Amino acid sequence: MVLRELHTDGFRCLASLAFAPGRGVNVISGDNAQGKTSVLEAVLYAATSKSHRTNQETDLVQHGRPGFRIRVTAQRPGRDVAVDATWWHGEKRFKVNGVAQSRVSDILGKLPVVFFSPEDVELVRGTASIRRRFLDMAISQLEPPYLRALQQYRQALKQRNELLKQDRVTGDLLDAWDEQLVRHGTVMVRSRQGFGQELARFAAPAYDAIAAREGLELSYLPDIEVGEDYARVLLENRDRDRRYGLTNRGPHRDDFELTIEGRPARQFASQGQQRTAALALKLAELKLVRERIAEYPMLMLDDVLSELDTKRSSRLFNTIPEEAQCLLTTTDLTTSAVPSGLACSVFRIRNGALTPA
Amino acid sequence: MLFNTPAFEQLVDALRRLPGVGKRSAERLALHLLSAPGEEALSLSEAIVEARRRITRCSQCCNLTDRDPCAICAHPGRDHGLICVVEHPSGAMAIEKAGAYKGLYHVLHGALSPLEGIGPDELAIDALLRRISGTVREIIVATNATAEGEATALYLSRVIGQRFGTAVTRIAHGVPMGSGLEYADDATLAHALEGRKQL
Repeated sequence: MVLRELHTDGFRCLASLAFAPGRGVNVISGDNAQGKTSVLEAVLYAATSKSHRTNQETDLVQHGRPGFRIRVTAQRPGRDVAVDATWWHGEKRFKVNGVAQSRVSDILGKLPVVFFSPEDVELVRGTASIRRRFLDMAISQLEPPYLRALQQYRQALKQRNELLKQDRVTGDLLDAWDEQLVRHGTVMVRSRQGFGQELARFAAPAYDAIAAREGLELSYLPDIEVGEDYARVLLENRDRDRRYGLTNRGPHRDDFELTIEGRPARQFASQGQQRTAALALKLAELKLVRERIAEYPMLMLDDVLSELDTKRSSRLFNTIPEEAQCLLTTTDLTTSAVPSGLACSVFRIRNGALTPA
Repeated sequence: MLFNTPAFEQLVDALRRLPGVGKRSAERLALHLLSAPGEEALSLSEAIVEARRRITRCSQCCNLTDRDPCAICAHPGRDHGLICVVEHPSGAMAIEKAGAYKGLYHVLHGALSPLEGIGPDELAIDALLRRISGTVREIIVATNATAEGEATALYLSRVIGQRFGTAVTRIAHGVPMGSGLEYADDATLAHALEGRKQL
């Protein structure tokens, strides 16, 4: 997709904004706390109905305003898409091409985006839950049935965990919830396995390209393997589950492991390697989505240059595919890291106001 | 000023507890009731009291009724060998309107939900089990297609299967009749494909 225009009103510190980026790379430069990240965040919110920084919409509202409006128009093969995301007096509303949408599953995938922020280093060094969230978000944008299975699985898991804490739990009652964990969990593991394999295939060359040396490997670690009898595992763990008052086994315990030169990146990689690996994951997602939907998602790179040395930065620019549109924020006003031959538009942001440079 | 007076807020809160009524609708309804002629509000409250007094649960199917047993349970022309289990009276009403079903109903008044403290004892499950006898051929489970509705369906099939061996079936989920595939949502379509039939 190519972002044509972004309009925001009442969003974070942004002045009423009408932003029309070009094709290729768009650099948004400005000092700290001027609103660079908020521009990307507004697009991310319209695309996913979520912010990467907060779960509470009230945090996104400009001080003294009753809510915010975001409008994104984008060009996609075949047809253009307009998404209106509003949060007004506590009510969240989404419209796609003017038609109101009530479900997240009807919004996801309308504006395919890949977002990288400095906090994504946690994908490499953080807990498994962060990696699961990445998988869930990425796959949900691509496969609507996955999101549905995920939602049903989570609901059944919550219910089962609550049931395990109650005195009146019986085998028949547990059976009823187990069956749903199995049905939806199986769908999730199958999708995660396929996605994990594809991601691994793209992540290795992405890492090589930026680091100029080989070594990143990714492997999906399912708690229940594809083809394993999950129903039986649940049955065998019932006593333990009741003692703990929670469900010990299942896709909610999945993880994926990243190794660099054969050693787990979480413990053994340097800061720089971890950052590069996180970035490689996002670039791999970009390629993977391209392969699945035959179109590049829009790439948003928040403050990525401060993370990388000059060599790695310029190699990063070389790996961004020409057809992909990219929004990139930086505090470096000279944009010296941008290779001279690269077509790019530069915008400056100050006090939430964006102007072409 | 009306707002913030306890009596007004109490009315708004009471209205908000009704299904499908949000804060704004509740305020609008409350304002309407208060500004309309006094008889209108009074006749509404009387209608509620009267309906509550007259309408009870059918001792057999647990549906809401003004006589016991209800018209459907008492009807000699209905097929008493078929029982369709629904979560709420609205489910029975929907099927009844469709006009194609000639069996009996059973209303559970909810679905299993440990999070809300709803177990088998909170639902009309015992009453259902008491109805199952040799003359009942099939129990059709038409609980909602939510996690809770599915769990309830599975639980019923277990319990009924163990105790009676009566056939328990689940209604199919599929594409709305008379409309194009493009109007069905993803979940329904996926379900319809899974539940496809040999022609």
